[in-house]
Amino acid sequence: MSAATGTVYDRGYRPYDGPRGGRKEAILALVKSTLRRALGIRRSWRQKFLPWLLLGIVAIPALVNVGIAYVTRDSPLESIDIITYRGYVGHSSSLLLFVALVAPDVLCPDRRQRFLSLIFARPISGTDYALAKLGAIGGLLFAFSFVPQMVLFIGQMLVNRDGALDYLTENAAVLWQVPVAVALLALYYAALGLALASLTSRRIVAGSSILGVLLVSSSVAGILRAADGTSPATEVVNILALPLYMRDLVFLGHLDEGFRLSEMSGGGVLAVAAYVAVVGVSLATLLWRYRWSEA
Amino acid sequence: MRRVAGPLLRAVGLTKRFGDVTALDGLTMDVPSGRIGLVGANGAGKTTFFRLLLGLTRPTSGEVEVAGVNVTADPAGARARLGYMPEHDCLPTDQSATDVVATLGELAGLPPSAARQRASEVLDLVGLDESRFRPIEGYSTGMRQRTKLAQALVADPELLLLDEPTAGLDPMGRESMLDLVSRLGGFGISVLLATHLLDDVQQVCEHVVMLDAGRLVVSGTTDDLLERSGVVAVEVDDRADALTAGLARRGLTATIGPDGSVEVAVKGDADLDVIRDVVAELNLPLHRLSTRVGTLDEVFLRRATVPS
Repeated sequence: MSAATGTVYDRGYRPYDGPRGGRKEAILALVKSTLRRALGIRRSWRQKFLPWLLLGIVAIPALVNVGIAYVTRDSPLESIDIITYRGYVGHSSSLLLFVALVAPDVLCPDRRQRFLSLIFARPISGTDYALAKLGAIGGLLFAFSFVPQMVLFIGQMLVNRDGALDYLTENAAVLWQVPVAVALLALYYAALGLALASLTSRRIVAGSSILGVLLVSSSVAGILRAADGTSPATEVVNILALPLYMRDLVFLGHLDEGFRLSEMSGGGVLAVAAYVAVVGVSLATLLWRYRWSEA
Repeated sequence: MRRVAGPLLRAVGLTKRFGDVTALDGLTMDVPSGRIGLVGANGAGKTTFFRLLLGLTRPTSGEVEVAGVNVTADPAGARARLGYMPEHDCLPTDQSATDVVATLGELAGLPPSAARQRASEVLDLVGLDESRFRPIEGYSTGMRQRTKLAQALVADPELLLLDEPTAGLDPMGRESMLDLVSRLGGFGISVLLATHLLDDVQQVCEHVVMLDAGRLVVSGTTDDLLERSGVVAVEVDDRADALTAGLARRGLTATIGPDGSVEVAVKGDADLDVIRDVVAELNLPLHRLSTRVGTLDEVFLRRATVPS
């Protein structure tokens, strides 16, 4: 047997005397860890697959639209747009499924596995925690709604028969309408999804609740619509449609005629009030659920 | 030891009530830096005291300071000085120890690269080998306890709050954990060790705070408490019964211990004189007269019912 020639060093413990951030850095760290978890980064491929699949589906219409425009750019036929910028906002149910999948995943395990007790032993408050989760999920929803729109815009601009500059000039309003409408959608989905997910520690219950609340409200609105003599105002119970009303107000300045709420005067104001109420109640619920760390 | 100017912990009239239940009742004490044992039965108020130190709950009345920081006024400032290892399971099982410890380091304000570096160092320190890169769900109880200790250490706290760190460990794991806790003092980190296992405290702590039903029983150095056990062992020949009876006649409480010596409760030097006189009167050969080193269990049992 050969004699051991290596030396084992007990490095002991080294105190840390480097820089330390404050509340802002802690919130940013929580946002980053939430983003990693939501996208499955540093997790198994199974945990990456669904989020990226759903987000990939969101981008398909943009890619198809640009592809068609590219292929037909020299064709004498009228160009075909399979989707408009307005129609793209809230178009895909993939985003909704993404929220139902990810919002529970970034909140429920922290509570179920009692990881919150370690988080709140740091210089971070319940409000910080809730806002970091909201920022991360809202940011993701914004990015994955906004980027395909930009792909669509830049692609259309580059393949435009009349030149890129003409396209840019004709569609300049889109450059503010899209981010505003997408931000309103992202805030709505993130706030509602996280609020519902914060009410339970079980992911499956939370995900089902998110989809259930939205679909049930839509169904109730449908029943009310079918009943005789109901006011168009009852359409606001369909909370699934509220971000679409906001989208129309941003792009058109009024509700689209396809929505029954547009039949009444003040329908737009009512839609805004309902949107604000849902977001407000969601945020209040979310903050209330993590208030205990402030006690 | 990074000793702070003044006491490391200061509680003044610290009271916490939950409805009709008083979890802490007017706790007033100064505790120096070092390894401190916080002992008491279940429900004594240990966990409530930890939550008050972390600023996770507000006192009903009174104040508590950590390293000079008033916890009520600046809970985040107090938490920045603390590392906390809870008793219960609290680790996300689908992540690796490396990721969990690094993330918690970042949440404590360390830059990302420093957090990962520190995570690696403290996981080395607690003895978690390559398994640190595997998901925690496959860890044994001992590995989970080590991970919990590592996350408490990652931000280099001034004071570690350890809640029952040996709970659920086998004898070897317990010894290993206590050894780690002992070494922390050498690294300049103070430790507040909450436990109902007084042996653990006696083994590693320099200072003991005893709570009973939310009230402070005693706070002092371990050596002082043990020396003040107030029992002397008197070893004579085989006439221990005669000595016991003689001492009883002079008003002293004496019993025969398991080793055959007579254990006498004494309150001061006068009682030692009485023992000497009784031994002389009975013409007994005195082989040994020594202060018996007691245990914290005895100190606790003797004092818990008569709060100071």
